[in-house]
Amino acid sequence: MAGKVSLDPRTKLFMVLAISSLAVFLTNIYLLLLVLLLAVAALAFAGGSIVDLLGKLKRLIAIFIAIVFVQSIFTKGGQPLLQAGELVILSDIGLTRGIQTMLRFFIILSSAAIMTTSNPREIIQGLIQCKVPYEIAFMVTVAIRFFPILRDEVNDIMTAIQLRGINLKQVPFLKRLKTYSYLLSPMLFSVFMKSQDLSVAMEMRAFRAYPRRTSLRVLHFRTQDYQVMALCTIIFLAIVFTALKAG
Amino acid sequence: MIPIKAENLSFQYRQNSKIILQNIDLTVDKGEILAVAGLSGAGKSTLCYCLCGIIPHVYNGLMTGNVYINGKNTRDLTLPQIATMLGIVFQNPDNQLFSFSVEDEIAFGPENLCVPRSEIERRVTETLKTVGMQEFRHAGPQQLSGGQRQLIALAAVLSLQPEILIFDEAMSQIDSAGKKMVRDMILKLKEEGKTIIMVEHDFENLALADRVLVLRDGRLAPFNGQLL
Repeated sequence: MAGKVSLDPRTKLFMVLAISSLAVFLTNIYLLLLVLLLAVAALAFAGGSIVDLLGKLKRLIAIFIAIVFVQSIFTKGGQPLLQAGELVILSDIGLTRGIQTMLRFFIILSSAAIMTTSNPREIIQGLIQCKVPYEIAFMVTVAIRFFPILRDEVNDIMTAIQLRGINLKQVPFLKRLKTYSYLLSPMLFSVFMKSQDLSVAMEMRAFRAYPRRTSLRVLHFRTQDYQVMALCTIIFLAIVFTALKAG
Repeated sequence: MIPIKAENLSFQYRQNSKIILQNIDLTVDKGEILAVAGLSGAGKSTLCYCLCGIIPHVYNGLMTGNVYINGKNTRDLTLPQIATMLGIVFQNPDNQLFSFSVEDEIAFGPENLCVPRSEIERRVTETLKTVGMQEFRHAGPQQLSGGQRQLIALAAVLSLQPEILIFDEAMSQIDSAGKKMVRDMILKLKEEGKTIIMVEHDFENLALADRVLVLRDGRLAPFNGQLL
């Protein structure tokens, strides 16, 4: 099934919103775990790579372990599970809240990964057809389009800095931060120049000539989009109902 | 009707005491290729900006005199109105291409002008054919060479169907193969009757022009083989 279903980006957006909303409102760990499984299944259904997702989630494990301890130390009450003298290092409340936070992050990341299965042009068109102002959708386009170019420029500047004899790996952390500040002025200059050139090029191609514009490509919902949205709504309501019933 | 006419045109940037353009009178005839040469910093790009209305509409500064495109003063026209009469291709293709695919890039201008979808489709096909890049219709700009990107920037301008084209050192950042592509295209566009202004400092490219002027100390003069 993975990789074979071509959904409208608006359908994917609907799925992402439903899943993310559940992640925010639910507190029950079992329900959060269920939503995470559904998010991963939705990602696979939309043609996304679960292996890539697991790779991203793995990098965040250390942060969530830290969150569990921070929650335990700063949250009063609960049964201490690990303590040093008077200081509670790990408590059942801290552990529960840490797991809740971790699951929420995982759900949001998994659902966001669903959007990456559409090409950016389709997402922008989807936003426009959802009545998002074209200027805002276009800003998103430009940001996505120019991000790799800016990243390459940062790498070039870093290389230039290192070619002047600064080995960043051997420089102490604070000095390294100072070195990064040298990135700022050439980067800002480059960004301003690019944005100016870009805006002139856009103006000379009639950008915002009229309040409305036509689109060469238009998205159309298909039967499978309606089916997915209906199923998504049913599951969403079922989980909300279960959560309310469970109190 | 004269495609481009500048009358007593002078310009000075706000933060700069130097007068970049001084009392320039220029007429470009229909179907002519005019080349403007000059050293770096001579004001060639500024002249382009004045001729295509970017000055005074986008860049601030003190502009005196007038520029007429097809008999209409650029001060009285909006940039979208100018865009249908005159197109400009800039130096750096990367800063002119902002879409994810060649097709979107070319469709951008007509979409802004609310051209019907079927007509946009036709223009995209036609302009890609004109620049000989049909097979790259669904490619991303990153997949193209510098010369190909510049041709796509040109195609994006041509989709607005302007009769006048300005090339602002459009061959300065591309390799020799890319330069040849753009040069061939300029000659093809001349055959189609387009009026072309090329700003150049590469002597080899000046050979394309029917007339060459040099911009020196803010003034235009006939080119005698020397930029200084």
